[in-house]
Amino acid sequence: MELKEKTSVNLTNGGHATVIKELGRGGQGIVYLVDVAGKRMALKWYLHPQQLPQKFYKNLEDNIAKGAPSEAFLWPEYLTKKEKGSFGYVMRLRPQGYYEFGHFLLARKQFGSFEAILNAAMKICDGFRLLHLHGLSYQDLNDGNFFIDPKTGDVLICDNDNVMPDGQRSGIMGKARYMAPEVVAGHAPDKYSDRFSLSVILFMLFYGNHPLEGSRVLACPCMTEEYEKKFYGSEAQFIFDPKGENRPVRGVHNNVIRRWPALPSILRDTFSAQFSQELLTTPEKRLIENQWRKVIQSLRDALVICPSCMQETFLEGDSLKCMNCGKAITPAGYLDFGGRKVALTVGSNVYINSGNDPDIAVIRVADDRYPIQLKNITNDTWVVETPSGKIKQIAPQSTMPVKPGLKVTACGVKILVY
Amino acid sequence: MSLLDNESIPRRQMTLFFMIDKSGSMDGSKIGSVNDAIENVLPIIGEISDENPDAEIRVAALEFSTDTRWLYDEPKEGKDFIWQKVTAEGLTSLGEACRELNKKLSRSNGFMSSPSGCYAPAIILLSDGGPTDDFEGGLAQLKNNKWFKSAIKIAIAIGDDCDMDVLKQFTGSLEAVIKVHNIDALKKMIRIIAVTSSQIGSKSSSANDETKQREVEKQITEAAKDVAGAESAAAPEPAKSDSYDEWD
Repeated sequence: MELKEKTSVNLTNGGHATVIKELGRGGQGIVYLVDVAGKRMALKWYLHPQQLPQKFYKNLEDNIAKGAPSEAFLWPEYLTKKEKGSFGYVMRLRPQGYYEFGHFLLARKQFGSFEAILNAAMKICDGFRLLHLHGLSYQDLNDGNFFIDPKTGDVLICDNDNVMPDGQRSGIMGKARYMAPEVVAGHAPDKYSDRFSLSVILFMLFYGNHPLEGSRVLACPCMTEEYEKKFYGSEAQFIFDPKGENRPVRGVHNNVIRRWPALPSILRDTFSAQFSQELLTTPEKRLIENQWRKVIQSLRDALVICPSCMQETFLEGDSLKCMNCGKAITPAGYLDFGGRKVALTVGSNVYINSGNDPDIAVIRVADDRYPIQLKNITNDTWVVETPSGKIKQIAPQSTMPVKPGLKVTACGVKILVY
Repeated sequence: MSLLDNESIPRRQMTLFFMIDKSGSMDGSKIGSVNDAIENVLPIIGEISDENPDAEIRVAALEFSTDTRWLYDEPKEGKDFIWQKVTAEGLTSLGEACRELNKKLSRSNGFMSSPSGCYAPAIILLSDGGPTDDFEGGLAQLKNNKWFKSAIKIAIAIGDDCDMDVLKQFTGSLEAVIKVHNIDALKKMIRIIAVTSSQIGSKSSSANDETKQREVEKQITEAAKDVAGAESAAAPEPAKSDSYDEWD
C-alpha cells in the first residue's frame, strides 16, 4: 500500500514518521520525505513486502542495531512496525549536489576533475573495506547504489537494506551486469563477489564503459536472460583480455578507447589482473579493498597540474609529458615519502594518507626567493628540519619552500623534499 | 575534447509494444480510457528510460480492428511519442495483428535494429472480445519468432466478453492475463502493467531462476489486488459467501 501525505507510521522505537511527500519510487518501493521528531528524514517504504525474503525485516533490525560502517552509508536508522500492509525503514536524507552514478554513465553529469574521480574511487573502496571489516557483504552492488558529488567526488552509498552477514543470501538479486560470474551462475553473493562488483564499478568510474561489454557482447542482437548468464557468467571475457575476442568497438565504446592508453599503467595492470580469466573464476584471489586503496593512492601521487595547459595529467616513470597538451613537464621538485615519490607542480594537491582531504597544496608565491611553496592545508603543525639541522614549525595555512634537503614531518609521516 | 568529458555509455533498446483492439465493441468509454491511460503513461515511460543506464525504452503501438495500423512507423521515445487518439470501429483482426507484429519483430525490416542491440521487448495486448479472423495462423507465425518467444507478454482482458483462451495462447499463460471490469481499473492496470514491464524489461536481469516474464506477472498480480475491478485471470474464483440456507 502506498502512503498518503500526513500519514503517520509507527517506528519500533516508539516514535513515528509522518509522510510529507514522495521523493521517488523504484521497483521495490517508494521513498518519502518524512518528519521524525521534528527532523526531516527519508522513509523507504516497500511496495511488495510479500515478495521479500522472510528474514528481510529481521536483517534490517540487525543492521540498525549494528550501525553504519561509516558516514558514507545512508544506513537504515529506524525501522517501522509492520503496519498498513507493509513496512519500511528511515534513513538520513541525501544532501543536495549528489547525483546517481547512472547520471555520470549517461553523461548527464561530468566529474569536475580526475582528483574528484579518485576521491570517489577512494571513498567507495573505503566504504566496502569497512563493510567487510564488520563482517557484512553488500550483495547487489550496482550503478544505482551510489550518489556522487561531481565537484568533490564525495560518495554516499545507499540501498543498504540488502546488506547481510557475509556468506548469507539476502534473496534480493541485483543486476547481472554487475554480478560476479559465480553469482550469475547461482552461488550466494559474499565479500569476494562484492569485490568483483567493486572492480566493475571502479572500471566504469575510470573508463566510462563496462569491462565485459566489447564486440562480442555488442554483436548479440537481444540480451535475453540466457545471454546475460553467458556474457556475465560462464563466458565472461574482459574487453582487453589477451584472447582479444571482445575488444571495445570504435564509435561505441569511445570513452574506454580514449582513456585506456592515457591513464597510468598501474590502472591497466590492476584491471587486467582483476578481470583475467584466472580471477574471474578464482574469487579468493581478487584484490582486497586495502590494496585497491594503495592503487588509488599511487594514482593520486601521479596526478599533477600541467604548468603549460593547467589541466590535470598523470606523470609516469621518466616520461614527463602532459596527456592533454603533450608538452614536457619539469616539476619544481619532488617529495619522497619513503617509497612513494610525488612530483610537485603549481596547483597540484598532495594526499599524505588515504583520506579524501588533501594535505599539501603546491602554490606559487610571487616575488619570493622560493616562488613555489608547499602550503600546509592540514589542521596540524608540521615540523621541518633544514639540511643544517635547524628545526622550524609550519602552522596550518602557512607555507614552506620547495627546497631540496628539507625534511618534513606531517600527519605522522616523514617526507623528504628533493 | 578533454579526457574528462565522457559520452554516454551505449544503451540497449527495449521496445514496449501496445497492441490495441479498437473493434466496434470498444467504442465509447473503453477506447476513451485506453487513450487516456496510454497518453498519461508515456511521460512516465520516458522518465524510466531517461534514468536508466542499461537501456533506452522506445514505444510502438499497433491498433487493430478490421485492419491494422502502426501509430508511428518506428518506435519512439516516450517523450517524443505524441499519442494519436484511437477511435473504435470494425472487426477484431487479431490474427492479422499478430502477422503485423511478427514483421516488426525483426532486425532487417522491423523495429529491432538498434545499433547497440536490444533487450527482449515487452508486449501489452488489450482486447475486449474474440478474434474474427484466422488468429491461430497469425499466432503460429509469431510463435516461431525468437523476439516474441523472449518477450514479456501481458494481456488485459476488458470486460466479460473476452476470449480468455485466446489471450492465454498469446501470452503463454493465464498468469499473464489481467481481467478488468470497469473503466477505472482499466486505466490503472494499463499504467501499472506498462510501468512494471518497462522497469523490469529494460534492466539487466537478476540472473536467478525467475524469468523477467514471471517477475512482471507476480508484480502485476499483486498490484491488481489493490485495484477494485481488476484481477489476475489465474486468480481463484472468489469463495461464495456463506449462506444460512446451508445450515440444515
